[in-house]
Amino acid sequence: MPQRMSLPRPLLAGAAVLTALALAACGTTEAPAETPAPGAAGEAVTVTDARGVEVEIPAGVEDVVALEWSAVEHLQTVGIAPIGVADVAGYEDWAGFGAPLEGEPTDVGTRIEPSVDAIAGLAPDLIVAVAGRDEGAYADLEAIAPVLVLQGADAADPLETMYADLRLVGEAVGGGDAAEAAITAFQTHVEELTATVDDAGLTGTSLAQMDGYDTGGQISIRPYADGALLPAAFEAIGFENGWAEAGDAQYGLGATDVEGLTALADDTHILYMAVGDDDVFQNQLADNAIWTGLPTVQAGNVHRLPDGIWLFGGVDSLTAYLDSLVAALAPTP
Amino acid sequence: MRRTRPGGLALGAALLVALCALAAWHVTQGTTAIGLPELLGWLGGADGDAAVIVESRLPRIAAAIVVGLALGAAGYVMQTLTGNPLASPDTLAVNGGASAAIALAAVFGISLPGLGGAGLAFAGGLIAALAVVALGRGRGSTTQMVLVGTALALALQSVTTVTIILAEQETSGLYAWGVGQLSQNGMATVAQLLPVVVLGIAVLLLLARRLDVLALGEEAATTIGVGVGSLRLSALVASVALAAAAVAIAGPIGFVGLAAPIVIRMLASRIHGAARHLVAIPLAALAGAVLVVGADVLLRAVLSGQAALDVPTGVVTSLIGAVCIIVLARSMAGASETESMTVLGARTIARSAWLPIVLAAIVLAVMTVAAVLLGDRMLLLGDVVNWLAGRAGDAVRLTLDARAPRIVAAVLAGVALALSGALVQAVARNALAEPYLLGVAGGAGLGAVGIITLVPVATGWAIAGSALGGGALAGVVVLLLVGWRRLGSLRLVLTGLAMSAATAALTSLLIVTTDPFNQGKAIVWLAGSTYGRGFEDAVPVAVVIVLAGIGLLWMHRDLDLAQLDESTPRLLGVRLTAVQVIALGMAVALASTAVAAIGVVAFVGLVAPHAARALVGARHRVLLPLAALLGGSLTLLADTLGRTLIAPAQLPAGVMTALVGIPYFIWLVLQAGRAR
Repeated sequence: MPQRMSLPRPLLAGAAVLTALALAACGTTEAPAETPAPGAAGEAVTVTDARGVEVEIPAGVEDVVALEWSAVEHLQTVGIAPIGVADVAGYEDWAGFGAPLEGEPTDVGTRIEPSVDAIAGLAPDLIVAVAGRDEGAYADLEAIAPVLVLQGADAADPLETMYADLRLVGEAVGGGDAAEAAITAFQTHVEELTATVDDAGLTGTSLAQMDGYDTGGQISIRPYADGALLPAAFEAIGFENGWAEAGDAQYGLGATDVEGLTALADDTHILYMAVGDDDVFQNQLADNAIWTGLPTVQAGNVHRLPDGIWLFGGVDSLTAYLDSLVAALAPTP
Repeated sequence: MRRTRPGGLALGAALLVALCALAAWHVTQGTTAIGLPELLGWLGGADGDAAVIVESRLPRIAAAIVVGLALGAAGYVMQTLTGNPLASPDTLAVNGGASAAIALAAVFGISLPGLGGAGLAFAGGLIAALAVVALGRGRGSTTQMVLVGTALALALQSVTTVTIILAEQETSGLYAWGVGQLSQNGMATVAQLLPVVVLGIAVLLLLARRLDVLALGEEAATTIGVGVGSLRLSALVASVALAAAAVAIAGPIGFVGLAAPIVIRMLASRIHGAARHLVAIPLAALAGAVLVVGADVLLRAVLSGQAALDVPTGVVTSLIGAVCIIVLARSMAGASETESMTVLGARTIARSAWLPIVLAAIVLAVMTVAAVLLGDRMLLLGDVVNWLAGRAGDAVRLTLDARAPRIVAAVLAGVALALSGALVQAVARNALAEPYLLGVAGGAGLGAVGIITLVPVATGWAIAGSALGGGALAGVVVLLLVGWRRLGSLRLVLTGLAMSAATAALTSLLIVTTDPFNQGKAIVWLAGSTYGRGFEDAVPVAVVIVLAGIGLLWMHRDLDLAQLDESTPRLLGVRLTAVQVIALGMAVALASTAVAAIGVVAFVGLVAPHAARALVGARHRVLLPLAALLGGSLTLLADTLGRTLIAPAQLPAGVMTALVGIPYFIWLVLQAGRAR
């Protein structure tokens, strides 16, 4: 008997679920559209973004969604706190010290695949993305609001690329003056730091910025070669990049292993950042004879900078980076 | 004419000499300029470069040799135990378990007391493989165990991909590790795991004579009085421990555990006495070591010290192994037929065919409605009515404009992959066959990732086109290498597998070399995502499904016969070769358009046909429609969950298919095993 009963049961269950679903799913979450909203007052601006696309942006932009962390920082610099940010929690961990998040933006998903639904729900005036991401979704995003694509990084001239992105954001949201002011302030600060470094007798000191990773017990090192943003910044205040190998064409990042670090000159200072307890240089390499035998390690010239300075950020991140760097190398009494 | 054949001992000696030569060369390579003179100086007592030699060079060569030995021996025994040449550490989920353990540890900051990262990899690999053994043991055939293992491996791989996507910063090095790297932080890891490897190989050698008997068949072994159950269990545990040790040392170095044993198996079959396990296991171990060390030497000889770091050694082992297998598969005359497709479906679970098909159709319809309503933004039917009538508000309109094409793409790609899988399984007569096996999915993935990474502003059409081109090219190359007349033989399976591994290796190579710090995009694409798809992306796959459907209406009976064996269809007047070529052609077209539409979605092409076969049997008249419906439903369910579960973040459909389908699939395999 149970055997014979078992056949219709899935059918019955299916029908019940269907009915329940149908009943539950009626209605709407949003009133039908009425007459289209009148166009915003004022004049639209047209800017050419990193794709080479002319983006027309209505005047009086207020609600902006940022799909990359550098875009968040540039927007805040020109006076706009984004209403939507991709991976808010990640931003707090990795960029929150250098450029603290303003306001309480909505999380719109991962930086790899931000949620079109969430962005549409925010009804932004502008979406700021960074080249190399989200290309597949530009069509969907452009149906929501104009999409402004920043360059993000270019090892040919990292600082100018960062300035250009900041200026582009400023121009797009009517904050061109704020962008220029921020750049000028940063450059003035660079001059002050240059003097500090000079006073401390550190000009020309060789620095090597690097990240360390432990994956399954294997240690890999990611040095910042010429063309990366961080070395460009510390070279601007009088230091020299001690990592001589080439990096990739976009971020200027190299690759090496612990053995490769023996190429560093004896008087080079090693700088690194990490998040939380995840400190390869202090933990995993403590017993490695190559590492402990490096002259720079033996001289104690290894410096961990504060957590949460975004390595590919804007003027605030770079200011935080340079300030911590100078504080670590030339501690003021 | 009589050919002289070298003995197993001569082959072993040759491998050993090659290994020593390669190892000596290997020690002189590295990221610093320490070469032969410094090395001789160190041996002579100078200690200027001692740290680099002791902490970097020697650990690396030790790792390469130990990993190669372990993988070669483990793979050989796994293939004997399962009687399937596709069995390897990968198919028993060792690598998947290790990767998942490392990935989760990276995200949650887990660490095992007393064990480093390598210990985590070892534990993860061991637990996953033992779970497969426990699930498969005593229930049905070993092929079922391998099916369970493959499924679990895919699921664990998905867990790893999920963590890479969600914790992009924390898992920066994981992708490269997942392809297999040899760099070591001192000798500690190798020293810790060396006893496991020595013990594992010793156990396998002690079991060698009884494995010889087992290779003749279970019944023969039982008759002679060999305890098959305990023999199988101890050999499995030993080989799994070997594979787990290897992955703990170097990450999942792909293909060595598969290629080295196959090569030795093919060579040994021509050498008197070498096919005995006591000889063959050491030979396979040596071949594995030569492959790993040789790959690393080659890599660092071709690329300079620093550049070689960008390319994981596993990429090179895969390429070398693939070439070896293709060459050997071609030169071996009369490679035997593979098993017939009675593994599942000898007895079906459902008593009539129509009920499962109708139910599956209803399920797909319900799921489609649910998929429209669910997502980051939850909708109601009234919203959909408004949208269809063109009077929805902005948020609803934009949401559905973006969501509807994704749903269509998911369903169509799932249908295409399921049909493709059913066709490949019928032609190849192998339970592990799927579109991946022909290298089609891999070729399509390579084509697409190639254009994504090399042309920064590639449009959807260019990506779809190059995926199609890559998939079709790989499929045609495999067909040509195998030869039209041998499509039902083991040669197809081996060549397809080699092609698949080679394309996967080249894809990894492209990702890690062109964009090593921005891998998210390619990884998501490889994981199979419907993100950002428009209706136009689904057009090619829809066209191919319609054409293939028409063709299959006409030839489904020929497929029923083609899956039996080589001779029956010919006796009944079926032009077997023509049927096979057409079916494979369709499979290639279906799989590559599916990949072009939503990326590389694993699992559906393997599982949907198996599930359909277990439910309604192997007649293609009922198998194909059910497989298509199940494939469409599975992919759609996966996509919907991926869009909904952790919104606003989302997971690619391909990742979710494995996670969603696994429990059902494993249940099905075990159920079908019991039914027999």
